[in-house]
Amino acid sequence: MTDTTATTTRAQSDHFMQQVTMWVVAAIVLMALPLIFNSGSSLTIMNQMAITVVFALAYNMLLGQGGMLSFGHAVYMGLGGFMVMHLMNYIEMYDLPIPLPVLPIFGGLFGMAVAALIGLFQTRNAGTVFAMISLGVGELIAACSIIITAFFGGEEGISGDRTMGLPTFGVKFLHQIEVYYLIAFWMFLSALGMFLYSRTPVGRMANAVRDNPERAEFLGYSARWVRYCSFVFSGFFCGVAGALFAINYEILTEENLNLATSGTILLVAFLGGVGIFAGPIVGAVVFTLLQTVMSLHTELWALYLGSMFVATVMFFPQGLTGLIMMHGGPMKLGNMGKLVVPYFKTILPGMLGLLGVMFLMEIVFHARHASVGDDMMSIFGVDFSSHSPVAWIVCAVMAVAGIWIAKTNAPELRQTWHEANTPGGAK
Amino acid sequence: MTVPALEMKGLRKAFGKTEIIRGIDLAIQKGERHALIGPNGAGKSTTFNLISGRFPPSSGQVLLHGEDISGMESYNINRRGLSRSFQITNIFPKMTVFENIRCALLWPEGYKYSWWQIVSKQKHLTEEADRILDSINLLHRRDIPAGLLSYSEQRALEIGITVGGGADVIMLDEPTAGMSRSETTYIVELIAKVTEGKTLIMVEHDMPVVFGLADKISVLVYGEIISTGEPEAVRADPKVQEAYLGAALEAEEAAGH
Repeated sequence: MTDTTATTTRAQSDHFMQQVTMWVVAAIVLMALPLIFNSGSSLTIMNQMAITVVFALAYNMLLGQGGMLSFGHAVYMGLGGFMVMHLMNYIEMYDLPIPLPVLPIFGGLFGMAVAALIGLFQTRNAGTVFAMISLGVGELIAACSIIITAFFGGEEGISGDRTMGLPTFGVKFLHQIEVYYLIAFWMFLSALGMFLYSRTPVGRMANAVRDNPERAEFLGYSARWVRYCSFVFSGFFCGVAGALFAINYEILTEENLNLATSGTILLVAFLGGVGIFAGPIVGAVVFTLLQTVMSLHTELWALYLGSMFVATVMFFPQGLTGLIMMHGGPMKLGNMGKLVVPYFKTILPGMLGLLGVMFLMEIVFHARHASVGDDMMSIFGVDFSSHSPVAWIVCAVMAVAGIWIAKTNAPELRQTWHEANTPGGAK
Repeated sequence: MTVPALEMKGLRKAFGKTEIIRGIDLAIQKGERHALIGPNGAGKSTTFNLISGRFPPSSGQVLLHGEDISGMESYNINRRGLSRSFQITNIFPKMTVFENIRCALLWPEGYKYSWWQIVSKQKHLTEEADRILDSINLLHRRDIPAGLLSYSEQRALEIGITVGGGADVIMLDEPTAGMSRSETTYIVELIAKVTEGKTLIMVEHDMPVVFGLADKISVLVYGEIISTGEPEAVRADPKVQEAYLGAALEAEEAAGH
């Protein structure tokens, strides 16, 4: 017994050191990123990413950690953002001595206050009731934004100027890079805060209530108040995300509150994986990259993103992070090497096949939607006519052959995967 | 006279027009091991649910250490020192075995809805959870998800969760259901060990378990207690013989026990 306890304690302190190292590395990476990606557009993308990370993590406090499916979570981010936008304008108007970097606290507190109010009735149940109420509240507040123009600014929203506040150590936030560090700082703090929350008694009980609300009640915890706590804290971090949005874009509109935004964040969290703390971070990074980079190159980007979500939900319900974590088993058994060849043989043709399908869709889209007489299009620098049968045939062959090869090799991959997960390399 | 640990007064429960519990009066003294037996559908589990706050009673009272707890939320009843297990294993399957036990300790140890403490830093919590795991012989399974435990291990874990919080009135709903003979012997020893000095109320079908563990037995038939007392007295009671026990004991004997 004493032996076991000693080992556990040692294992725990090792684990603790590991986690501290991870956070320190994350902080260093965040500081170093602008040195590598220093163009204006990459800073824009990183800012957007960081905001999405905070929002997705806050959302996952409900979905992944607490088992609550919310369809109206943009409300808390949006309201936090609107509040900070107004604050920014007050600061400009009355010359208030409030530095810009502290504004996210106010956004957070406002989001938290709203969540504290709405949570009172929304967290009574989980499941469908919760989802339906969240939908109703989301619609209600999005509708209010058109009606209550004093706060929401009507259809054009409200805008402001972040540079008019008190300079912070001489920094006036005129440059993207200054804004990046402000956002990165708050993202780091928020992520750490949410991570630590999941390690507190009420955070642990959020998982317990998610798994089995009834059992939790027979252990002295009201499932409703545990959910309420998660809800209120999630509201805080959503508000912070909203504030960062306000600081970055200097404009908020109805779009920041509506169902589409709420739906997007659900997809982001799911894409990354809701079961693991880091999942939404991965989801936010991948989503933002796809959205920004892909939308520069193709008008069909939403279709591809949508298909990817469907594929994730159907084939990898654990999300991208879950897909990576799945390899922990083979890795521990030292079997990763075995997987390389089958992966190569299945995934490469599969990718080519998918590209073929995508090219076909691009060609169809171009042929149907380009102005009359404009037949020339280009994919990856190759120029060709969208009416040329050669292009159609090449893409169709690529699609069919790629998918066919991938399908033929898939059983081998499945077999190897099974072997790689079996200790001692069983047959 | 001392206040009974648990007392039911005129307890009734109807679902729609059907009355399931038709007036139970029963007092269970501190430190007693009380078994509730009876044929299927007699209302044993319903009685458990009424006591533990899963449903409110239609009328009547449940007193825990003299305090009226009828109609209270289950978490409030639990906070007053009554803890129960379930007939169908009821654990947190995705959390580790260790965490299952630790969840049971949080409220009784006074952490409540704390969001300013980190659980893994609370050394005494970890030690206490490990001590309970050791007492239910699951220490070697500490860090695997509870859903992966074998059936009897899950039952043992559930008993650990139920008694872990230190409640002084423990209710076990068919703790040996679906177990082999050797597993049953093991669980019975475990129950005897971990409920030492506590008040125990259990529903059980397995007669050897009942007669081995219980100081007192109540027989519930169609929502009423037809007999209550020492095991031997209950066994001899003709009403019990007629209604239930005779058939059950014959079945036991026929099965070669």
